[in-house]
Amino acid sequence: MTGRPDLMASTVGGLPLSSPVVIASGVWPYDPALWTADRLEGVGALSTKAVSLAPRAGNLGTRVWETPCGMLNSIGLQNGGVRDFMERGLPVAESAGRPFLVNVVMESEGEVSECLAILGGQRERIPAVELNVSCPNVDGDGMAWGMTARSTAKAVAVARRSWDGPLWVKLTPQAPDLAGAARAAEAEGADAVVCGNTWLAMAMDLQKRRPAFQRVVAGLSGPAVFPLALRTVWEVCGAVSIPVIGCGGVASWEDAAAMLLAGASAVEVGSALFTDFDLPRKIADGLMKYTAAAGIESLSGLVGLGRKNHEGGERR
Amino acid sequence: MTHRAPRDFPAEVVENLRLDGKTTALVLRCPGVASTAEPGQFVMLRAGTGNDPFLGRPLAVADLSGDRFTVLCRTVGRGTELLSSTPAGAELTVRGPVGTGFWSARRGVPLPKTVHLVGGGVGMAPLLFALRRLDGTAVGRVILGVAGQGWEGLTRWAGERIPSLDLYSQDGTLGRRGLALDGLPEGLPDEEEIWACGPEGMLRALTKRYPGDLGRIRVALESRMACGMGGCLGCVLPTTSGNRRVCSDGPVFTAEEVLWDDRSA
Ligand SMILES: Cc1cc2nc3c(=O)[nH]c(=O)nc-3n(C[C@H](O)[C@H](O)[C@H](O)COP(=O)(O)OP(=O)(O)OC[C@H]3O[C@@H](n4cnc5c(N)ncnc54)[C@H](O)[C@@H]3O)c2cc1C
Ligand SMILES: Cc1cc2nc3c(=O)[nH]c(=O)nc-3n(C[C@H](O)[C@H](O)[C@H](O)COP(=O)(O)O)c2cc1C
Ligand code: FES
Repeated sequence: MTGRPDLMASTVGGLPLSSPVVIASGVWPYDPALWTADRLEGVGALSTKAVSLAPRAGNLGTRVWETPCGMLNSIGLQNGGVRDFMERGLPVAESAGRPFLVNVVMESEGEVSECLAILGGQRERIPAVELNVSCPNVDGDGMAWGMTARSTAKAVAVARRSWDGPLWVKLTPQAPDLAGAARAAEAEGADAVVCGNTWLAMAMDLQKRRPAFQRVVAGLSGPAVFPLALRTVWEVCGAVSIPVIGCGGVASWEDAAAMLLAGASAVEVGSALFTDFDLPRKIADGLMKYTAAAGIESLSGLVGLGRKNHEGGERR
Repeated sequence: MTHRAPRDFPAEVVENLRLDGKTTALVLRCPGVASTAEPGQFVMLRAGTGNDPFLGRPLAVADLSGDRFTVLCRTVGRGTELLSSTPAGAELTVRGPVGTGFWSARRGVPLPKTVHLVGGGVGMAPLLFALRRLDGTAVGRVILGVAGQGWEGLTRWAGERIPSLDLYSQDGTLGRRGLALDGLPEGLPDEEEIWACGPEGMLRALTKRYPGDLGRIRVALESRMACGMGGCLGCVLPTTSGNRRVCSDGPVFTAEEVLWDDRSA
């Protein structure tokens, strides 16, 4: 690596990151062979697969579908439940020797409280929690918790009561007022917001002449969503003062740089890891060279620079 | 052998052999895969490094020698079309070797005394590799079943490598008229196994044919895949021990552990 790796380090939402590249939830297996320094070059932290209170079998039928420059998924949060995570997932996550976030499914208030209490029982072993509010509020109207500012506030308040460590809240881009949802998360004590999850979409199976997925809709991710995600990051960064983590379609150091210029403090990378294991290192490397070439002191000098330049009216 | 996670490699196309209108043999120089792949394992292949097509295409390792391995690619859509038209000298991206194959699936379990191999169409690919490596195990029948016209190249390729190949085609134009399963023995003695790879219909028919012997039938299965590393859970298969990943727990399973009725066709 060229440049100064130390300049890539920062603390984001209570988590010390050696690089601003975080592996997004749902893509990295608990395979000890993949949680080694050698396989995680350039990775600042990892988010685990979704963890719910009880085990979930996930969805039936087709679960992934390629789309132009991206993919749809309908995995259905398959996981062995929080107790299974404590027993089998956590030791693997710890073995990497770098920070990780436990991605917790926002289920009912009772379930998420119990799940977080179990995690909290081993607080010293768990660096942070990432609350996924893209899941339906079964206590309420059945819409995803993250859809409105009010229900986001409620979800974050419940989580905050049960978990006193670093708490990142992963927003859903389906929210009509995403800035409002982000402000609500901040007001209820989130340490950072992740912006955001997959984009609701669908595919038709022409051979079977029916929707490709049993649940009809599925989540779109990959480079196809990058410009959309960048726009939401810009909006949310203008609305909150806690750190924002840009997530959606990041597949190159240029994408990551754009997210940081828009105000993100770090990026999460998901689907692009399906095509390139080495991407985190390439992003970290590229960012380092980019900041050095621009004469920017450290990574934090890049964060929000695009806004400053825009607002300062520096036009050329 | 301890478990190894797959890695990404560039791979140079050393040879591109168009076997027939729709089947291509690609010989790839890739020491990282060639030095470790086991029969039944596969690779995720991508043409180029761009974002479209986005995902790798799973293709079985059909052969390997030295720093090279071979895949047999049947053109069915855009990805396989792009891969099979990649000329010699060009580079592909490979993730591999992926999966638990015929050998590693049996780690610690002695190989059977006799094994029969049954391939349907391009499903013959992993069996060709298995055949080359079977050592100390008697090979019973080796059967390839195809539709017929349009499969001349693959059948010739397989025939050149397996003198004892039993060839069946549905339209009778290649080998005997009939289905691959027609070539199998009536019963399956205790010390014998059947290893199969091919269309879902063929594999299901196989389970109907030997309902009492499913533990001695190994099938290499297909599923849509995204990551090829066990991470996305996009490829899962319902089994007697819950959802299992075709890409990493498989693609080789025993017919006994697969919940065929819960598997979407
Ligand atoms: C473990 C495994 C081993 C395989 N080995 C071989 C082989 O040795 N030779 C060979 O010719 N084919 C093999 N296949 C099938 C091959 O992967 C598909 O034909 C190929 O992915 C189709 O891609 P496409 O872009 O041409 O078709 P499209 O239909 O355009 O593909 C669209 C998407 O669907 C996926 N897809 C379509 N058909 C299949 C399928 N049958 N299985 C899995 N995914 C599919 C594609 O990967 C892609 O993501 C294997 C499949 C698996 C799972
Ligand atoms: C296969 C798959 C599984 C996912 N599972 C989860 C999950 O369990 N929890 C979650 O919060 N996000 C999940 N996501 C969303 C990703 O973490 C990420 O937010 C999204 O894919 C957008 O980023 P990307 O374009 O870089 O993939 C999943 C995405 C994919 C593709
Ligand atoms: S393809 Fe991702 S888990 Fe199998």
